[in-house]
Amino acid sequence: MITFDLSEEQELARTAMRGFAEGELRPIAQKLDRDSTISTSTLDVLWSTGLAQMQGADEKGRCSILNAIVLEELAAGDATLALALAVPVAFAQAIMDQGSPVQRETLLPLFQGNAFHAAAIALLEPHFGSSVSELTTTAIRDGDGWRIRGRKTLVPLAAASSHFLVIAQAEGRRVGFIVDRDASGVSVEAPVPTVGLRALQMSDVRFDGVFVPASARLGGDESADVQRIIDSSRAGLAAVMTGLSRSVMEYVIPYAKDRVVHGSALASKQSVAFRIADMYINVAAMRLMAWRAAFELGASRDATRSSQLAFTYAAQQSMVIADEGLQIFGGHGFVREHPIEMWYRNARAVSMLEGVAGV
Amino acid sequence: MVDFTLTPKDEQLVNIAREDSAIARKYARYYDQHHDELEPVALPESEGRPDPYALLEADPEGTSGPIVTQALLHLEYPDVRMRRDASRFLGTKIIKYAGTPEQIEHFGGMLLSIAISEPGAGSDPRAMVGNARYDKATDEWILNGEKIYCSGFGEAAGAVVLLKGPPDERGIRPFCSFVVEKGSPGLQPLGQVDKMGMRAWDTADFVLQDCRVPSKNKLDADFKRTLMVFNGSRAMVTAFGLKTARNLLDTVRENLLNGELAITYEQGRNARSSVRDRLIALEALHDATELMILRAKWSEQRNGVTAEDTMVEASMAKALGGVATRRITQECMELLGPLALTEEKLAEKWFRDARIFDIFEGAGEINRLIVARWLLGYSGKELS
Repeated sequence: MITFDLSEEQELARTAMRGFAEGELRPIAQKLDRDSTISTSTLDVLWSTGLAQMQGADEKGRCSILNAIVLEELAAGDATLALALAVPVAFAQAIMDQGSPVQRETLLPLFQGNAFHAAAIALLEPHFGSSVSELTTTAIRDGDGWRIRGRKTLVPLAAASSHFLVIAQAEGRRVGFIVDRDASGVSVEAPVPTVGLRALQMSDVRFDGVFVPASARLGGDESADVQRIIDSSRAGLAAVMTGLSRSVMEYVIPYAKDRVVHGSALASKQSVAFRIADMYINVAAMRLMAWRAAFELGASRDATRSSQLAFTYAAQQSMVIADEGLQIFGGHGFVREHPIEMWYRNARAVSMLEGVAGV
Repeated sequence: MVDFTLTPKDEQLVNIAREDSAIARKYARYYDQHHDELEPVALPESEGRPDPYALLEADPEGTSGPIVTQALLHLEYPDVRMRRDASRFLGTKIIKYAGTPEQIEHFGGMLLSIAISEPGAGSDPRAMVGNARYDKATDEWILNGEKIYCSGFGEAAGAVVLLKGPPDERGIRPFCSFVVEKGSPGLQPLGQVDKMGMRAWDTADFVLQDCRVPSKNKLDADFKRTLMVFNGSRAMVTAFGLKTARNLLDTVRENLLNGELAITYEQGRNARSSVRDRLIALEALHDATELMILRAKWSEQRNGVTAEDTMVEASMAKALGGVATRRITQECMELLGPLALTEEKLAEKWFRDARIFDIFEGAGEINRLIVARWLLGYSGKELS
């Protein structure tokens, strides 16, 4: 039946992650943005939330809505840091859901320790007009294995990653291959700075005829559903965008109430108040859309439509919210003292990525 | 545990409502073109067909709840009703919560509209000039005013009318409401309003000219108590509007994205045609609104219709729904192209029908004021 009651576990996680994000993530967000790097100790602090370790903990399977809640809360602290954690978690989820027994046995323990473990799904490709539904990275059979050729882009924390789940076009369909970062032919390029999410150090990764054994194919056989990984990522990104949008709104409100313009508070002017109301409405709406997608994924239902719509809605609205939020700050919205301009850049970036999160 | 699944019984009731809508569609154009003619009390096809609303009310067991599942039915709003729904008569509802036992007995079985709006007072009822004064000699109230856009008044036996009472010691005129029955001398119905859309929806104006009603017709209902009746209706009306938008989305899919061209949700932005891309954005807006409606109705079911959360969420749903209904219907017409302009298809009717939904039963601006005041902690004076 239709209900929006959170379970006790979900409520507790929400409260805990909110406190954690406020206390640990928000205070360092701008510095990370300037330095364009995340320290190992900060990555370990992220890891200490237990999000990665929790994914396989329950024999019934993970709770996708819980993951969406956690991603939102972390992103409300800082979207970059939320994604830094979401990226390896998404990799682990893909292995957990669709990996062969050997893949699960070998790889999942990497995500159970106390130290941050980087691994990433390599999906996006560096050419204009590229789409995740039509990839140019190919995998061609070679003996009893495959040769992967192509270039992936915007892979977060690529340099630190132990493995990539490379999505390639193989025999007419998209297939996932688990590639060791150290395999011959894999080159992680130096990260090129990006407009937002700078500390994720997103890089291109080249695959020059990288040979992988048959056992490296995700699932080991023909059954893996790559679309599901993309669906999960869209739902996860929608949750991240919900958190990011919420942080903009929560920052704007006290400022707009305090700031006196032409004799009255900015927030008391209808135009401004309405824009803030719209922020609140659309954060609520995008959250529900993210939850619906997460719910369908968690219930093993076809979630392609709901994930696409959740992502599309959040992408559109989070850019609007960041944009209006910046406008409300006037000149202060344009300078780097305030985090608003960072959120504007981050909003643009998050709303254009694919494959970097999961529920 | 958050859950978006309809129960089997939800599905069953929704399917009945959906079929009702499909059956009624053949009458859509007729009532659109004959706005003076009221919808029949029931369509001939209603014979032998169950009433999903009545079934739900009789036994909500196994559904998502009486209010949530009712919202699912609202989302199947038809062009022409299968049968009359007495609960849509808001005047009758007011009697039930504000009436004395005698008033409930006397008026509770009548179909009564609510009459608030005037030519000079829409979203600001306080601007109304309609007034009531007491005649001690006859123990009657004398009512004067012009009321417009009264839903259901054409069919109703009368209305609960909100008017300004005599000034008190500070010179302030409090609001009061009265039951006025048709046939009362001084009540002159002016007939059906000629609207751009929703022309099957009974909407009528009337004038009160020294209309006398006995004091027993005066309700213990001031401004706040009268307007309370709208508490459950914002999300409901949003659902009606969303259905007109969905009708147009369906029309786009049927005519432009059928068969091989059917929309697929896998593609990233750059791989999608403009039509698909725009439709996906519109579907997202539609679904977001639907979830907000269900969320508001779930809050109402859980916490009651007057809870603050319920009221804010209802306003949120209505504000979003106003945007959604306008944008989706306007853009779907564009996507369909010039053929959609003709009366050959109902598309142009739904485009006309949709436009009222950001205006009546709480204009978008009013709902944003409600949300903003609550969110920012401002009174009506601080944020006007």
